[in-house]
Amino acid sequence: MDWTEILRFSRGPLLHVAMMIFIVGMSYRLVKVILLGWERDRAANKGSKLWGVILNYLKGLLVLPFIPWVRRTFRNNALTFIAGGLFHLSLFVVLAFGTAHILVWKSLFGISWKSLPTPVVAFFSAAGIISLIVLLINRLTHPVLKLLTKLPIWINWVMVFLPMITGFIMARHLWFRYEVIFSLHLISVSLLLIWIPLGRISHFLFYFFSKTIHGAQAGKRAIMP
Amino acid sequence: MKEKTIYEHLRDKGLSRRDFMKLCGTIAGMMGLEFAPPVKALGKLTHPSPTEVVAQALKTKPRLPIIWLEFQDCAGCSEAISRSSSPSLGNLVLNDIAIEYHETLMAAAGFQAEKAKEECMRKYWGKYVLVVEGSPTLADDGIYCTVAGKSNLDLLKEAAAGAAAIIATGNCASFGGIPAARPNPTRACGVADLIKDKPVVNIPGCPAIPEVTTGTILHFLVMGELPKTDHFKRPLPFYGHTIHDHCLRRPFYEAGKFAESFDDEGARQGYCLYKLGCKGPTTYNACAALKWERGLSYPVQSGHPCLGCSEPHFWDGGGFYEGQSAPTIILDKVSTATLVGAGVAVGAALAGVNAVKKSRAKKTLKKAASPETGTEAETKKEA
Ligand code: HEM
Ligand code: HEM
Ligand code: SF4
Ligand code: SF4
Repeated sequence: MDWTEILRFSRGPLLHVAMMIFIVGMSYRLVKVILLGWERDRAANKGSKLWGVILNYLKGLLVLPFIPWVRRTFRNNALTFIAGGLFHLSLFVVLAFGTAHILVWKSLFGISWKSLPTPVVAFFSAAGIISLIVLLINRLTHPVLKLLTKLPIWINWVMVFLPMITGFIMARHLWFRYEVIFSLHLISVSLLLIWIPLGRISHFLFYFFSKTIHGAQAGKRAIMP
Repeated sequence: MKEKTIYEHLRDKGLSRRDFMKLCGTIAGMMGLEFAPPVKALGKLTHPSPTEVVAQALKTKPRLPIIWLEFQDCAGCSEAISRSSSPSLGNLVLNDIAIEYHETLMAAAGFQAEKAKEECMRKYWGKYVLVVEGSPTLADDGIYCTVAGKSNLDLLKEAAAGAAAIIATGNCASFGGIPAARPNPTRACGVADLIKDKPVVNIPGCPAIPEVTTGTILHFLVMGELPKTDHFKRPLPFYGHTIHDHCLRRPFYEAGKFAESFDDEGARQGYCLYKLGCKGPTTYNACAALKWERGLSYPVQSGHPCLGCSEPHFWDGGGFYEGQSAPTIILDKVSTATLVGAGVAVGAALAGVNAVKKSRAKKTLKKAASPETGTEAETKKEA
């Protein structure tokens, strides 16, 4: 087994199976959550549910991240807030605007768009990696966080960190032959895809449920979500 | 009778000493001699100049016999050599530095050709270099490629037995090449997969770069051994770097400037071809350094993405115009729907089971909370 062969395997069958597990797993999780049933909300409708939802997203995604000091999460632990936010922003930039990843989307969905200049993507991937390391140190040193963090959360960290670091090393052409680091990137991406439905990273989907439902509840009561 | 040395042969043909030394310099360049310390081969301890090393070899050694066989191939590698822009040099190597038996290029045909080959093999048994172009085929004892009634497997084993070294030229002879593309009906494979008891060097490419094939032949002649190779048995002086390593479009790659199609502004500006499917980052070959047509250009320079022709499975490594990062197996709509369906079904089934459990639990709870409880207890007491 040489690395050319391993790369062939990871670009083909491995990624393929990982994607299948990801799709089955996420569909399963989604249906199970939906069919858990909703608690009946007996509050009288005093406002607009839709408006509540819109407000909730505006606040949570577009306004508050940029004036974080009004938030208790920020005041309590600014580090978690900033590093966490920067990590998600970086992840988004790298996955949506890195050339290599645009080609993945193109092959999957047939659509493509302009990539950002490599130095910009490189900046964000470095920022993402540093944020992850900061988050890890924070978890290791913060006495309460440390108690709260169980094994699955540590696994989350590793699963997200590996694709980030291998991707960064590959794009900079450091240390490894390209086919070696390319294989490692794809193996770690496949592991992540398999892990996501099993653990908490599925929040990339469920986040929108809680955001929507909280918004609707608040809207119904005509209060600020 | 002692055989004439190469120098004597060339001198008899009218080559002056001055031209001979010039030739030696050219040959040293072709072999990439600066990479290989020449000391060991000549038993000297000082470092003579590469040109001197070559001259020394040509003055002392007789011409190198070469037997060139073709199996499942298109003769493109032979074409490339015989028509390379340095034909005089190619010819010189194949005619004056080596003595060649080449089925396609020789004048003789039929039984005559067969006899010539057998004679050549017998005369130089243990000394000749076997060059193989095209892939051997394993299926059904090699009957899918026969020459003069013999299967390619027999021909290969027979010729390999008397060879001092074997050079597999082109992707087909190295790794199976196009005949080995899925589903590989003839079970085509590389020469080195079959011949384990002789030194084999692979010169993959489609075609192999002529200067690399002749350079490797010359290396064997001058140094008395095949060049150092990588894990795919490719000579390191020529396959030590990727196309991407030496690519002249590399600054555009680093800046993130990519041609989006073959005729857009980016393509005209010479931007990187990664998005058009370039396999340069994983392809080890000398194109970008040596170039083709006497250093004129090479595919990526001329505007076409690298196909990865010097790598194993290059024909099945994803579409030629498909980005290198794209997965090679893509889920179609039907299987995606099936997978979603499977997830939904299992989720729904489990949710159903949960619902039934829940309603049962509710009932029991209700029962437990109802006033009959007392009566039940009393009944029990009575009993
Ligand atoms: C099918 C999935 C994926 C494929 C085929 C893929 C492929 C690639 C390739 C080929 C590169 C290097 C581009 C170059 O050499 O310039 C790269 C870079 C990178 N990848 Fe991925 N990737 C995938 C998914 C992911 C995921 C899920 C993550 C993160 C969780 C990730 C994070 C990165 C990062 C951080 C870089 C470095 C970008 C830069 O600094 O320029 N990749 N990826
Ligand atoms: C739409 C997409 C996403 C949204 C809205 C989102 C939102 C959030 C939020 C609100 C948190 C903080 C909650 C908490 O600490 O438990 C969080 C944490 C986290 N998210 Fe996401 N996320 C998204 C996608 C992703 C993806 C795709 C990944 C990984 C591939 C990811 C990895 C993480 C990790 C590792 C943490 C924990 C950070 C820490 O150690 O504090 N997220 N995300
Ligand atoms: S054209 Fe190909 S080999 Fe050249 S820099 Fe771009 S990806 Fe690399
Ligand atoms: S550029 Fe790539 S595909 Fe083209 S001849 Fe060179 S190695 Fe082969």
